[in-house]
Amino acid sequence: MKKTFWTCGSMLVVGIAFIAMQGCASKSVQSGGDSQSTQGTAKGGADSSKSGVGTFPDTGVQSGGGGLRGLDKNPSEERLGGGTGQAKMDSSTISGRQMEEIRAEQAASAAAGLKDVFFAYDSWAISEEGRQALSIDADWMKSNPNAMVKVEGHCDERGTTAYNFVLGEKRAKAARNYLVELGVLANRLSVVSYGKERPSCNEHTEACYQQNRRGRIIIKTAK
Amino acid sequence: MTQLKLIMTWLGGLLLLVGIVGIIESGAADVFLEATRPDFQKISLGVAEIQNAGGPDWLAGRIEEVLKNDVRRSLVFDLVDLPSLGIQAAGVHQGKGAGSKAIFKQAAEKGVSVLVWGAASMKNSGEQADVNMEGFVYDSGSDELVGGKRYAGSPSVVRQMAHRFADELVFRYTGEPGIARTKIAYVAEQGTARELFVMDYDGYDARQLTADGFLNLMPQWSPDRRFLIFTAYRNRSTQDIDMIELATGKRWTVISFGGLNITPALSPDGNFLAFASSYEGNSEIYRLDTRTKVIQRLTVNPSGDLSPSWSPNGREMVFVSDRGGGPQLFLMSSDGSNVRRLTFEGDYNAAPVWSPRGNWIAYVCRTHKEYKLCIISPDGQKRLQLTTGHGVDDSPSWSPDGRHLAFSSTADGKSHIYMIDADGKGRERLTFQGTHNSAPSWSPAW
Repeated sequence: MKKTFWTCGSMLVVGIAFIAMQGCASKSVQSGGDSQSTQGTAKGGADSSKSGVGTFPDTGVQSGGGGLRGLDKNPSEERLGGGTGQAKMDSSTISGRQMEEIRAEQAASAAAGLKDVFFAYDSWAISEEGRQALSIDADWMKSNPNAMVKVEGHCDERGTTAYNFVLGEKRAKAARNYLVELGVLANRLSVVSYGKERPSCNEHTEACYQQNRRGRIIIKTAK
Repeated sequence: MTQLKLIMTWLGGLLLLVGIVGIIESGAADVFLEATRPDFQKISLGVAEIQNAGGPDWLAGRIEEVLKNDVRRSLVFDLVDLPSLGIQAAGVHQGKGAGSKAIFKQAAEKGVSVLVWGAASMKNSGEQADVNMEGFVYDSGSDELVGGKRYAGSPSVVRQMAHRFADELVFRYTGEPGIARTKIAYVAEQGTARELFVMDYDGYDARQLTADGFLNLMPQWSPDRRFLIFTAYRNRSTQDIDMIELATGKRWTVISFGGLNITPALSPDGNFLAFASSYEGNSEIYRLDTRTKVIQRLTVNPSGDLSPSWSPNGREMVFVSDRGGGPQLFLMSSDGSNVRRLTFEGDYNAAPVWSPRGNWIAYVCRTHKEYKLCIISPDGQKRLQLTTGHGVDDSPSWSPDGRHLAFSSTADGKSHIYMIDADGKGRERLTFQGTHNSAPSWSPAW
């Protein structure tokens, strides 16, 4: 009986994979022909003059067979070096400075009456309530034409760290785009995704999740 | 037509489910054996005694405990309890490296293949303290005194002595270096900041690596274990990809393009960096030649592409794309060609990592609204859910021997780091301190 399940299951998986792969194949042909999307990279998809690339050390694996010397009938003494081979951390004052700056940003944003926009699970669509919040933000930006604003995208703890950065960016961009629609100049708005890494609350409840699925409108006080 | 399509989809889904259930029901044992090696029988091993040869009371016991846990976690050995087999092994060390013939005979008769014993001592105290450990091995199959090891060092390396000896045992019986000396890098919350830490693979000796007061995220090891590559923020506004050298703490930025710059992964030979960036609009996967600095865009798609993970031979990558709606796993050649979808079950599959042996890809699957760990074979034929229950499981990372995964989970409330065997058994919690530990990355073998 179990064997039948196996065979049956495998055949179906193959079958369904085949059906799905056909859909996939036509898609990749389509995207391959999308010449616009390949712009921005030079011929052959390579661009050696791109700025913003730092130095890379050689990180290839060194030989050495794991440093093990094998068991020995007459073992000689192996002296183990002290600790982990890890540098003592430099606890500079940066940590405190960042904290102060974050507090200053948040205080300025709260004092200005800027409103956050909240999102549904898995979604980056701006709700009616969100539109109302953003129109308050847009009015403030128009009457404070020198202010620069950062739109932060946040997610709840559900989902993966990695994919929530993409989701957070979609949320931040949706909010940014609506502010632009309302007449705010795009060059006054920057976008950053914090994924699920800067939650405003930490409970595993829907009320808390809703608080964390947000676009925050923050006045930039630092450069 | 639409109706027919609907019926076919429904039928397909149902049958697919039946198929998967069939695989899970009947295939778990096979899956496990393949996750290690097809013909591997665990070798029964007994730790007879670590004798206190002069030193504090805790010393010999600590070494014995660390060694036994390492042996158990190796999954190469079956750790047997000698007293429960009626073997009175105390006294085996009286013969030092020669052991005791009577105890060897007992072990052989009870089917214990490998017998291990040793001693530990400490001279002086404080700054001058010097620890010595010796360990010996008898193989009952060949009736042979295999040999031993002698280690010396400060009290801070006591656990390392036991780890090193455990790795020698694994090396002796498999030719592989073992995982007892490996490390796990991870992210720990410090107030509102998140900083990088590195701990031993068993959760001990955690050490902080960054302290800039903001977000340092998703570390990955360089193949030579000397560096971590990770995502950080410049002025809290712009995401960059940074590197840090463990030995010196020296840190610098390697990718600063603007937009999202996430999920860096160095190729197995260290010559390429794959990562996701949204500097051209939406998140796409790029491949940078770290020697020539030539950068190549691998995905061309209006949707989000991210989380590249290299196959062990460096020829292929698995990655995540939401081009079909929710995130799903896709495979491609490492030059971006030959893209095909790998996962079809469920509407959320993400955070893939290719196993060091090449035969599995671990990832986060959403099932019954919970985020759990799954593994799938690169041909898509076999799939297995490894974790169940409540809590968000995230960021799987393979041990270099391919027998375990580290991951984060909120199963016990706060997010902590856990490890689990590749068959879903042997779940073990590794972190107990702090408010939020996440994004574990298991180092390559030493």
